[in-house]
Amino acid sequence: MSVSRLLGLLALATAALSWLPAAAQFGAGGAGVGAVVTTEQVRAELVAQAPDGVGPGKTVWVGLQLTHKPEWHTYWKNAGDSGLPTQLQWTLPEGVTAGDIEWPLPKKIPIGTLANYGYENTVLLPVPLTIGPQFQAPLLSDTLTIKLSAAWLVCKTECIPEEGQFTLQVPIRSSTAGHATAFDAAWRSAPTALAPTPDNRLAIDGQTIRLTVHGLPAGWQGRTLAFFPETPEVIATAADWQQSWDGAVWTAQVPLSPQRSNSPALMPVVLALDGQGRRVEMPVLGSWPQASGPAPESTALRAALDARGGSGLAQFGASSGATLGFWAALAGALIGGLILNLMPCVFPILAIKVLGFARHADDRRAHRINGIAYTAGVLVSFVALGAILLALRSAGESLGWGFQLQNPAVVAALALLFTLIGLNLAGVFHFAQVVPASLAGFQPRHPVVDAFFTGVLAVAIASPCTAPFMGASLGLAVALPPLQAIAVFAVLGLGLALPYLVASMVPAVARALPRPGAWMDSLKKFMAFPMFATVAWLVWVLGQQSGIDGAGALLALLVAVAFVAWTLTLAGRGRIVAGGVALAVLLGLAWGVGPYVTEPAAVARQGDNGPWQTWAPGRVDQIVASGRPVFVDFTAAWCVTCQYNKKTTLSDPAVLADIAAKQVVLLRADWTRRDPAITAALQQLGRNGVPVYVLYQAGRAPVLMSEILSVADMRAALSRL
Amino acid sequence: MLRRTLITSATLAGIGWTGASFAAPSVGQKAPEFSLPDTSGKAVSLSAFRGKHVVLEWVNPGCPYVRKHYGSANMQGTQKEAAAAGAIWLAINSTEEGSVDYLVPEQLARWTQTQQGATTHTLMDVEGSTGKAYGARTTPHMYIIDPRGMLVYAGGIDSIPSSRVDDIKTAVNYVKQGIRQAVAGQPISAATTRPYGCSIKYKT
Repeated sequence: MSVSRLLGLLALATAALSWLPAAAQFGAGGAGVGAVVTTEQVRAELVAQAPDGVGPGKTVWVGLQLTHKPEWHTYWKNAGDSGLPTQLQWTLPEGVTAGDIEWPLPKKIPIGTLANYGYENTVLLPVPLTIGPQFQAPLLSDTLTIKLSAAWLVCKTECIPEEGQFTLQVPIRSSTAGHATAFDAAWRSAPTALAPTPDNRLAIDGQTIRLTVHGLPAGWQGRTLAFFPETPEVIATAADWQQSWDGAVWTAQVPLSPQRSNSPALMPVVLALDGQGRRVEMPVLGSWPQASGPAPESTALRAALDARGGSGLAQFGASSGATLGFWAALAGALIGGLILNLMPCVFPILAIKVLGFARHADDRRAHRINGIAYTAGVLVSFVALGAILLALRSAGESLGWGFQLQNPAVVAALALLFTLIGLNLAGVFHFAQVVPASLAGFQPRHPVVDAFFTGVLAVAIASPCTAPFMGASLGLAVALPPLQAIAVFAVLGLGLALPYLVASMVPAVARALPRPGAWMDSLKKFMAFPMFATVAWLVWVLGQQSGIDGAGALLALLVAVAFVAWTLTLAGRGRIVAGGVALAVLLGLAWGVGPYVTEPAAVARQGDNGPWQTWAPGRVDQIVASGRPVFVDFTAAWCVTCQYNKKTTLSDPAVLADIAAKQVVLLRADWTRRDPAITAALQQLGRNGVPVYVLYQAGRAPVLMSEILSVADMRAALSRL
Repeated sequence: MLRRTLITSATLAGIGWTGASFAAPSVGQKAPEFSLPDTSGKAVSLSAFRGKHVVLEWVNPGCPYVRKHYGSANMQGTQKEAAAAGAIWLAINSTEEGSVDYLVPEQLARWTQTQQGATTHTLMDVEGSTGKAYGARTTPHMYIIDPRGMLVYAGGIDSIPSSRVDDIKTAVNYVKQGIRQAVAGQPISAATTRPYGCSIKYKT
């Protein structure tokens, strides 16, 4: 018998009830465990709202309704100076998943010289249930059985941790709406998200944060707002703070806690007036004031890197000894760049390089020059990309490696480019027919320039992936002084280009190729298909970013571009007439549907995620605190390695069975579009790109897994839980 | 046209309060000096322990979170490890006399004795001035001071904020870890953490 249970029984016996095991209570359901738990301080009831019954696609809400004795309170998601948030753990039938609590607006509760955020009187903590297609009504009943294990801390000035087990039967075929008013009130009280604008920001100014918020309701102007930060342990909760209005812009200065233990990169806050709340995700500008000791994250990082077992890698975690870290980063970058050649991302570029080699199979000097030009192209692009990344980061943007493909316009442009390259290889047109002769002469006659741009293309398309060793190097590089960081990027490029450079220098490689001949033309045409495959992939990436409308618009544009390219191969007047029409079609389409390409997709895709839940800041800590291990997949649609791992190891039946057996919660952080919160989370892990796979468990350092996730590694890591 | 209305949020924050936690030291700053009576009435001052590591533990035997760590002998184990490392352990009770949790010095002394821990002194801070000077918010709330009198740790006893005894074995004990690192001359890796527990019942 656990001590807490013993304490509880003792308290029951003496009538100074500490908490009551729900088993001792008989709720409405009557059979053993019910929907109501009553303690001396709180009446807690599990309630449901399913106006249309229960079934796939139907809206079902459940919630814990807490009715406090006067003067007693429980806590919000950030409890403030003391206290703990109420925790809910659901046991649900297959196909039914619970979302997060939609926390109603809390109240600031001063306790002497301290302050908390919480609830008095009656509060309902609503949770949405998702009913998936796998859900099947039980054979012998027509109810959905919901089980809840809840823990809450209830305080007046004294505090009592309480918990309860609840069971509720929700009819599948009839309507449940007995608590509609309570749910309505809770939803009305939940803050609504304020559309993010770059003007909303949180600037760190010494021991104070300055908040600037645009877009609040017009009726709020000039009035005093309540302020609730969602991130705990940042501000001095009870301290005096200031707010003011400047026209429609609300600003505030809030003192930081001198014993602050959180340093978020994105801090969600709630502002409220008259029972209405707005939630704003504030990107943090500037750096958090440093205490003399290093932040806790660095130990986690070091432990995580140590756990990977790489003797050289362990040094990456060292916060001191930057020179050692720098050399280790360089070594990691070279190896990482080399391995990058073996990653699925580089597939399209391999095709171009094979062709390049075949084209000059008879000319060793051309090979050498091409090898050098290609290497130069790769190096220049890596350094340029790195420099842009560093410059944007220092300007306050939270970006990471692969950022260029987070922009749908870049993805669309690459798709257009690869379509043209594909059409060119397939023989639909030749550059000589398309561009003026002076420029056309440039392409085939300057293979050096050609090779250089192949290098540029290789980086544009292949760099979004990170390879083993590369992840840690990049993570370290963005924290190094700019010149050293640029050196790391350059060495990465060298690693990527090295195999071709070496091959171009070794005559045996060229000799191994057959003499030029008709086979080269076939090979060239064949190579159009990898190009078109790349286009298919880019369209899919854009679909993830901008939805089906965006992908459709891009496909229409690709067709129009292909049309334009073909008309330019015509001769005489046909060329002018058809070319004019084709160009008009292209321009019309670009004007008409072009905007869809960059428009963000509607809401995140739901339902097809299976056991995966969406990652959110703080979610890992919450789940780990509740005792379950968490596996996080940091991924992006444009990261081919990520997709490969997702379809192989992460879909492996044995791995999935292990995950289920160990009750690991699966979270997916999708970085396809820009997301400062994910960038910040990667940074805490010492990374700056995807894929990253991490296994978290309470009381242990997070375990970082290899970028090439193998079934064996995954199962070994799970077996150690 | 600019319209600037300045509103102090005194209504939200409590009028005229100069926050205890606001004036509190950060890790890396000097630990505030104090002199408090122990449970036998003898004055004990922090400066008397200059040259040694000192652990401060805010305690209230009526708090379920304090009972979690004493009932499981986790706090006593931490005290013994600190004593073995040559550190001084001062348990401080800042509960005001009017609170139901208040224990007179004799009762507190008896409670401390029955816990069979290894505290050097148990101190009475009924005015709450020392607790407020450190920004202590919860019981337990833990601090480590280095031999030069600098604050090197402020935060919780461990990494899992819950009332469940079962969580202790999976949690990282930040105080044990901090003492080990401080005594070894290393920087403390988790130097500021989240304290959790009951609010301290300060005199208002």
